[in-house]
Amino acid sequence: MSEMWVNMGPQHPMTHGLWNLRVRIDGEMIVEVDPEMGYLHRGIEKISEDRHYNEVITLMDRTCYVAGMAWEHLYVMGAEKALGIVPPERAEWIRMLSEEFQRLASHIMWYAAFVQDLGLMSPFLYGMRDRDLILDLFQSYTGGRLTYEYMRVGGVRNDLPEGFPAQARQVLDWLEPRLVEYDRLCMGSEIFRRRCDGLGVLKANDCVRLGVTGPMLRSAGSKRDIRKDRPYSRYSQVEFDVATADSSDVTGRYLVRMEEMRQSIRILRQALDWLEHHPGPVLADRLPRWLGAPYAPMGREGYLLKRNYPKGVGLSAIEEPHGEACAYVVNEGGEHPYRVKFRSPVFANLSACSHYLVGYHIADIPPIMGSVDVCVGEVDR
Amino acid sequence: MVTNDVSFVEIETLRSREFLPAAKEALGSMIKEQGESKLIRPVFNWAGRNSLFPLHWGLACCAIEFAAAFGARWDAERFGVVPRSSPRQCDLLIVNGTVTWKVAHKLIALYEQMPEPKWVIAMGNCATGGGPFRTAYSVVPGVDKLVPVDVYIAGCPPRPEALLDGILRLEALIRERGA
Amino acid sequence: MEWNAEGVRAQLAAAGAPGILSVDPFDGAAARVRFSPESASALFPVLRDALGFTHLSTVGGIDWVERYEVFYLLWSDAAKRYLLLSADLDAKTPHIETASTVWPSANWHEREAWELVGIGFDHHPDLRHLLMPDGYSFHPLQRSFKLHEPEDLEVKVRHV
Repeated sequence: MSEMWVNMGPQHPMTHGLWNLRVRIDGEMIVEVDPEMGYLHRGIEKISEDRHYNEVITLMDRTCYVAGMAWEHLYVMGAEKALGIVPPERAEWIRMLSEEFQRLASHIMWYAAFVQDLGLMSPFLYGMRDRDLILDLFQSYTGGRLTYEYMRVGGVRNDLPEGFPAQARQVLDWLEPRLVEYDRLCMGSEIFRRRCDGLGVLKANDCVRLGVTGPMLRSAGSKRDIRKDRPYSRYSQVEFDVATADSSDVTGRYLVRMEEMRQSIRILRQALDWLEHHPGPVLADRLPRWLGAPYAPMGREGYLLKRNYPKGVGLSAIEEPHGEACAYVVNEGGEHPYRVKFRSPVFANLSACSHYLVGYHIADIPPIMGSVDVCVGEVDR
Repeated sequence: MVTNDVSFVEIETLRSREFLPAAKEALGSMIKEQGESKLIRPVFNWAGRNSLFPLHWGLACCAIEFAAAFGARWDAERFGVVPRSSPRQCDLLIVNGTVTWKVAHKLIALYEQMPEPKWVIAMGNCATGGGPFRTAYSVVPGVDKLVPVDVYIAGCPPRPEALLDGILRLEALIRERGA
Repeated sequence: MEWNAEGVRAQLAAAGAPGILSVDPFDGAAARVRFSPESASALFPVLRDALGFTHLSTVGGIDWVERYEVFYLLWSDAAKRYLLLSADLDAKTPHIETASTVWPSANWHEREAWELVGIGFDHHPDLRHLLMPDGYSFHPLQRSFKLHEPEDLEVKVRHV
């Protein structure tokens, strides 16, 4: 039989979002792939040019809807650098805490969706159950489950509620043995190992060449982690290890994410200890009125006092759950950012997909693409 | 439009072991009274509204809450809602996210592939009216520009409870309007 | 070796990098290097091989109305620093040599910059639409492209 093109998407259970993987197959073998993106292109970078600095945070939650806190953190750090604002110490710790909780939630969501693709149903139910506990914590101090609008340029909106550290520790104590259970469910499963071992191999030098970052790069043995290499927030003050594996295949990516969750719990415990003993302000004082008040800035009234801020350019980078994310914020004075550019890790990881898909069977596509952890919101923006 | 003049309320409140005998008796007596044509519509309506199969299709943020609704805590399957991956097996299209112009014709194609009778739920602000991306150059300001919508759910994103409420409202709507 | 503006300037001079216009300090990166777009194809291999910036994070464009700017964000694993590269392009037909022959990861980033900002990349292997549908003729991130209120739109309702 001759070769043929198969469309996998935009409505396909494998895609986990809105994109189309066009595959040319020869029998069962993948000969060529051509991903077709843009079905969720919402013009976030363009809308940002029409929004006030704090209003862009609303869009950031929706850019990557499984890692809203991380993207808020990325943007507010970039905007603070562009505007020359320094957030207070406690706000930095709360941001780090939020980002790590988000990493846990995102990885558990990935686990639930990925393992379900392989035909194991109970990990989905376990994963969603445990993720909801983290979302409950988010809800207790931000009011939202997915979209928080919590961080502000110059700090965070409000302090953690009373009794939060105890509540959070309870959740972490519950999660830690669950991770062992997850591991037993997967690594002890013959089906899982047979469908994942040795698939989607992308070696470290290819990863660097193709711009692939995050768990995919670390599963190839590289130790690049922005949290360690270029510490932001307060990551230089907490102890953690960079999770790596050396098989550079689907199983390796799974192991890296599992280990990252354990390290996140380790960071979270240290952050909770610090936050318990260091009360203080969470929003920088002496901000202009349109940036300062904790609740007002979302409305138009707060902005009436227009200031000409000194011009500046802000560059920030974080280790998002999917990899390296960067923001480039151009401030030309005035209340709107002149240009906001985001670097999405999944965008780069997906652009390399012909290098880790070609040569495998068509039935290997769900595990391989699942291990990439595609979040289309941040690819298309 | 068929008004639901046959009462099926009593069947719904039955325990499972009492169901089959009661249904048999009710059906038998009704066939005698009314003949088949009047009977089939209400039965169809009752069966349809209690087993809505939505299309398994994640568009954007709301899809995560859509997934959470099928997770352990909310368990939407207890309302007979089971997501299916093929539009041929579905009678409910839950538009859970921002619809762009690029995906618009695919959405219409999927809707047209679904067999009648079919319903559409616009989940979240984006599907209802464009949401925070309303002014963007690539976003359809509301999915009702493309397909007829039966139930709108507000929220950005709506909580899973809101989705379940929307599904229950759709069931009430089907009961009222007929399939 | 110092990874600040002076250090980068000295290294660029030692490696014989062509077309460097200025090297300024930049918060959050080793330096901000401005170069002339004509020397792009000669400069990129020097940055990758001599200075060790093996990873290209992103490529983006800015419309400054009277000119365009294209910027590249590079990362060096050895130095653990970012480097910001930028070049000014003329407003009429902004174009520059592609970086995807040196860093293959630039492929999609350049497709996006071409599509949204309207910067042409010469000798790009596959310069076609990525995010917008084929045949979309606007470049939305140009300043002349204004956002509309959806009420202005005439939506043709299709009855199904």
